[in-house]
Amino acid sequence: MTTTHHATDETLMRYAAGTLAPAPAIVVRAHLASCPACRARVGEYEALGGALLEETEATQMSATALSDVLAMLDDEDAAAPFTPPPRAPVEIEGIRLPDALRGCDIGRWRWIGPGMKMSRVGVPQDPHANLILLKVGPGRALPDHGHVGTEFTYIVSGSYTDRFGTFGPGDLAEMDEDVDHQPVVDNGDDCICLAAMEGKMRFNNLIGRMLQPIFGI
Amino acid sequence: MNEASNPVESNHKPGLQTGRRLAVVSSRDKQQTPSPDALVEMMRQVAQDRDRQAFALLFRYFGPKLKTFFLRWTLSSVAADDLVQETMLTVWRKASYFDAERAGVATWIFTVARNIRIDHLRRQKDPSALPPDAETAMDTVEDGMLDAERDAAVRNALTALSPEQQTIIRLAYFSERSQTEIADELGIPLGTVKSRTRLAMNRLRGLLEDKS
Repeated sequence: MTTTHHATDETLMRYAAGTLAPAPAIVVRAHLASCPACRARVGEYEALGGALLEETEATQMSATALSDVLAMLDDEDAAAPFTPPPRAPVEIEGIRLPDALRGCDIGRWRWIGPGMKMSRVGVPQDPHANLILLKVGPGRALPDHGHVGTEFTYIVSGSYTDRFGTFGPGDLAEMDEDVDHQPVVDNGDDCICLAAMEGKMRFNNLIGRMLQPIFGI
Repeated sequence: MNEASNPVESNHKPGLQTGRRLAVVSSRDKQQTPSPDALVEMMRQVAQDRDRQAFALLFRYFGPKLKTFFLRWTLSSVAADDLVQETMLTVWRKASYFDAERAGVATWIFTVARNIRIDHLRRQKDPSALPPDAETAMDTVEDGMLDAERDAAVRNALTALSPEQQTIIRLAYFSERSQTEIADELGIPLGTVKSRTRLAMNRLRGLLEDKS
């Protein structure tokens, strides 16, 4: 999968620092799985975190901090060794979804308009997260919208085009607030995307405003 | 663990200055700065030999730094101690996953601490939340593209930044504060924080790309 649209450096740094909210972090992680270039950058920003940790001044710990932990090691060693849990593929109605969604609560597709379906995704780390899967038919326009806060969209399959270009599988679209854009799905297949919003979506037209209560976002 | 809601502590807002004031550094800690290779050797002893002495050395070196890291997220001293212990227990448990070809020890421990902090935040929001599933947390180290040489390049790039730029980057990693709050704390306009962050990022990218 060749990706042409990437995460910004600011986003990758927030991801590495662990300050990106859970829902956008899931969308970024989906992109990282298909983008070696962004993975390498996250590696650099993690190394930056390591360097900052090492140059951090020390704060004295409680007198028994070390002995407490050493005592806990006995229990650790008695317990079963750490093994990663099995990794079942993540799907929605037979369609394979990014591994980044593992552990999330994925609902069924719901009809939200002609040629348009949506599934809200429950994020265990953040009950108030705005994370959705969208499936939009060829030639259909997504509701014209702006956002409060940044919107992160990962293209799972299919493609769409807006004034910023064509976004295909593996790509990440990062749209700042005050950016209005109207993506139109390209001819061919349905476009499935995973979208997270830091704030509420702001629809500009009547249909969008009618959808708002349905989106609940 | 609920010490974080302690009003005294949260008014404290441990920032750069207060962090320094909180710090109690013994001269012994200052002298002991193990080389990256020495740290890798300690990790090897922990992973392969389950060597508790090597683990204790890692704990003495990283524990007090990790405590400062957790304190910056407005955690109480007791809560910070707990999270340091949790971090170091995870280091013990997952030591065999550390790969010196991919990352330096400080980088790896940073990612462990970062994931523990994220999980702590989650448990605060939802106390009924299950214990951390380490593998669904933000583990990029295990499948990322890290290498130890890159760690050195990043360290050099960091020291090449101006003091203001270093401060901005440090705040991005070690505080929950938004750019607006950072602007208030530093007493500079929000636009300046934004442009300074962008400049610091660009400078950092420039330095890193020169190296590769």
